[in-house]
Amino acid sequence: MNLDWLDAFLLQGLFQVVMVIGLALLLHLQMGLVRIANFGVVGFWGLGAYAFAVLFVGVDWPIGEPWPFLISMAFGAIVAGLAGLLVGWLIADLETEGVLVGTLGFATSVWILAVTEKGLTGGALGMGGLKFPFDIGKTKANELLWFGILFAVVGLIFFYVSRIHRSPYGRLLISVGDNEPLAGSLGKPAFRTKLWLFAVGSAGMGLLGAIHGVMAHLLIPQSIGINVTLAAMVGLVLGGSARVWGAIIGVILTVGLFEIVVQSYLPLPRSWYTQAIPVLREMVFGGTLVVVLIIKPFGILGDMRRDKLLRRMHGE
Amino acid sequence: MEFLTESLVIGLTQYAPLILAAMGLALIYRLTGLINVAYSETITLGAYIGMWVNTTFGFGFYATLLPTGIVAGLFSVATYLAVFRPAKQRGAGILEMIIISFGLSIFLRHGLQFIFGYPVRFYNVPRPDIIQVFGVGVSTFRLLALASVVILALLLYWFVQRSRLGLQIRALASDESLAQVSGIRPLFVTVLIWFIAGAAGGLAGSFWGVGSNVAPLLGWRQFLFIFLVVMIGGAKNIGGVIIVGAVTGIALAAMTLQFGQVLYAQLGLIVAFVVFMKLRGRQTVGTGKV
Repeated sequence: MNLDWLDAFLLQGLFQVVMVIGLALLLHLQMGLVRIANFGVVGFWGLGAYAFAVLFVGVDWPIGEPWPFLISMAFGAIVAGLAGLLVGWLIADLETEGVLVGTLGFATSVWILAVTEKGLTGGALGMGGLKFPFDIGKTKANELLWFGILFAVVGLIFFYVSRIHRSPYGRLLISVGDNEPLAGSLGKPAFRTKLWLFAVGSAGMGLLGAIHGVMAHLLIPQSIGINVTLAAMVGLVLGGSARVWGAIIGVILTVGLFEIVVQSYLPLPRSWYTQAIPVLREMVFGGTLVVVLIIKPFGILGDMRRDKLLRRMHGE
Repeated sequence: MEFLTESLVIGLTQYAPLILAAMGLALIYRLTGLINVAYSETITLGAYIGMWVNTTFGFGFYATLLPTGIVAGLFSVATYLAVFRPAKQRGAGILEMIIISFGLSIFLRHGLQFIFGYPVRFYNVPRPDIIQVFGVGVSTFRLLALASVVILALLLYWFVQRSRLGLQIRALASDESLAQVSGIRPLFVTVLIWFIAGAAGGLAGSFWGVGSNVAPLLGWRQFLFIFLVVMIGGAKNIGGVIIVGAVTGIALAAMTLQFGQVLYAQLGLIVAFVVFMKLRGRQTVGTGKV
């Protein structure tokens, strides 16, 4: 297969965009529907990546491929999911400030453990040895196949999230997010619903983290910074946090702009890419959050269709 | 016994700015119900302004405090007028307000990198003497910083709890409409609070900056702990924040001595505080929600 048209930057850019879309879709369930503002997205993502890597690299596996890889992937997702269950239990009945402190604190804790537990994670030097579970020839071909797998996983997440919107479970989530005491008084288990959704979303984030770790081949504590949370959040808010397609459109417009258009197609001096562009990107993302939420809080796509319909019916 | 005195001395001298910063954040939280994430950049800006005035004009550290406090206070007021006030007028909810402050924090943090550059910067101050306090060596500089923080914290406490303007602030925080019919001008008092809070944060930042170095992440690295102190100390009474801030500093120092690593101490503190909040459960802190 001739892959000359595809350069390494473009493939990395596409990988970033699709991965952040996955994170933003999961954040849409947590923040857009149930209104739990998860500021610790990177904590679950990083925990999944490290849990996968520690099991995959650190254990002397007695069985052959691909089982160690698959088991480690599942382990990464499960550990992140269990962390989601624990963090969710701690914060689900707190107010937004409590959610902020709990999720930020969790992400910081994961970072601290990644730095301090040198025996497991390699500390600040990082942890290598993460490789693809297949070898179909050149590096580029392997990376393209891995990108295809990520695409399929994010496709499944998208399918799951769209199904939720049309199901009774989705209406339960929306009602809990909208007015928790009301949902509770109608006999809906609000706390359990939030907890379960938060754990499932976190497990998905952990799986995406593990997939990212394989593509990067190396995990370092710097890679689990607040910018991952920011990318998912700004994409979702810009596109419209109440809509499924909001995550996709918003992430393409933000992460896609910087990781693909600026990275591969703008004729800028090379030195800018290491210093000025990353700083500028974070500034633009932060500024976008502020401007969108003040001027158009529901983002480009606007409020949920259901709510628009309800308003029309009531003649508002 | 040695362990106790060491924790006490190190905790109070090294973490004194935490108390000051937490008081500022608590003021804004109490008035608006907003945890302002961008407050961490007010702290960072304070450190940068102090360093800049010190290295450019040759002011001594204590002479930089006045311009630092004023600039950081004005900066804080500017963020209120340019961002939080319009957002409130457009009816943004508490969740949206927190995300706005998060976005503003990221924007400002990286904006400061453009202005002051990424490498860490230092104050140009003479090397301080080391004196023994209960057998623990402490730089005179940190002791003076502690003394200044105590004085500033007490002044702030007196201002909010005892002065006439402080009474207006507290009235506005507890019931905006009632305060308005009593003749209190909400905009003036609100701007005043943002100014005082910003000045407190900026001064805390300059104490941190002169104690080690000035970097774009200075405020953000402290923010989680400031935030935890405010959440646990409660917004009802500034005194609670002072006590919890001091206890937090001592606990961090004690755990650092025990585990030999400051990161473990921070981890222990995060876990302890979040579990405490869970056990305390949902509570309305008596703040005027945005």
